[in-house]
Amino acid sequence: MIRRGVAIAAAVLLSGCATSSLVLLPDDEGHQGAVAVLESGGAPTDAVIAEGNSRTKLGTKTPVAKPLGSNGLKKQEAALLTVLPPPAKSFLLYFEQGTTTLTPQSAMVLTSLRQEIASRSGPEVEVIGHTDTVGGEDDNDRLSMNRAEEVLTWLASQGFDRSMMSAVGRGERQLMQPTLDNVDNPANRRVEVIVR
Amino acid sequence: MLRFSLTLGVLALVAASPVAAEIARIKQSSGIALVERNAQRLKAAPGLQLLAGDRLVTGKDGRMSLTFIDNTRFAVGPNSQVSVSEFQYDRTRQKGSFVTKVDRGSLAIVSGRIAKSDRDAMKVRTPNSLLGVRGTKFIVAVPK
Repeated sequence: MIRRGVAIAAAVLLSGCATSSLVLLPDDEGHQGAVAVLESGGAPTDAVIAEGNSRTKLGTKTPVAKPLGSNGLKKQEAALLTVLPPPAKSFLLYFEQGTTTLTPQSAMVLTSLRQEIASRSGPEVEVIGHTDTVGGEDDNDRLSMNRAEEVLTWLASQGFDRSMMSAVGRGERQLMQPTLDNVDNPANRRVEVIVR
Repeated sequence: MLRFSLTLGVLALVAASPVAAEIARIKQSSGIALVERNAQRLKAAPGLQLLAGDRLVTGKDGRMSLTFIDNTRFAVGPNSQVSVSEFQYDRTRQKGSFVTKVDRGSLAIVSGRIAKSDRDAMKVRTPNSLLGVRGTKFIVAVPK
């Protein structure tokens, strides 16, 4: 029995250097997601770790989550979390019917959009144009692309390099408010800008 | 003129990898922080675009952070070796698959749209386990 204990301790020591672990946390909005342990120590498992603020040793047959407890995160874990980039932020800009002209309210959003991009390190900007269902599909594909290009050109004029930005037009295929064909709808005439 | 030379620089990058598309971008780095791509070793400078298959390597005091095009965010800790072995993402349908290998060190992840798109569409492999990410924030540590 003692011998067996020693053997196990030795095995833990040998593999101890390679024992990976999982720390599960609630996301920034306070929601708790889960991580499934699909394989552990070479064998499939059906363990699902769903306890927030828990630590799980990986590599064992049946991985079990333990609460972080009063010690909380290790110092280097807490430090690592501070390195995470800020979440992506999305802006919506609206347009006048059939044009690439921003509504007056949306023109004011441009300032906060510019500030958001300028505040980020290594930013990536995705610009996605949309239309309402007035007009033909081909025309709307073109119009949505032109709207996206309009925003991208404005951003470039503010000093942002085009290599950090991309623009696509999705025409009338992704309506914000579903409508019948040929319906004038201000909410659908939009460009979404995602800043990462 | 400055713009012209910048454009040339981008063209040169594109020419070096004709079919590859950007999957993520480096946000910040400190200490020794490199991106290994085939035989190349690139400094993980802010704005560097990553491709599927890239390997993230940090030294003793190294760290780097990055954001993927599906909004997944990574922070790589010191003494780490992390590979993005698979990354496919359809921006229009917001679906894809994503496999990351943590061979050594530590990685904090806030998952994005791929993890939400299908069950276990995002996986993380360590030397002794395979994890299926179901929309969350977590740290994986693989000591040396």
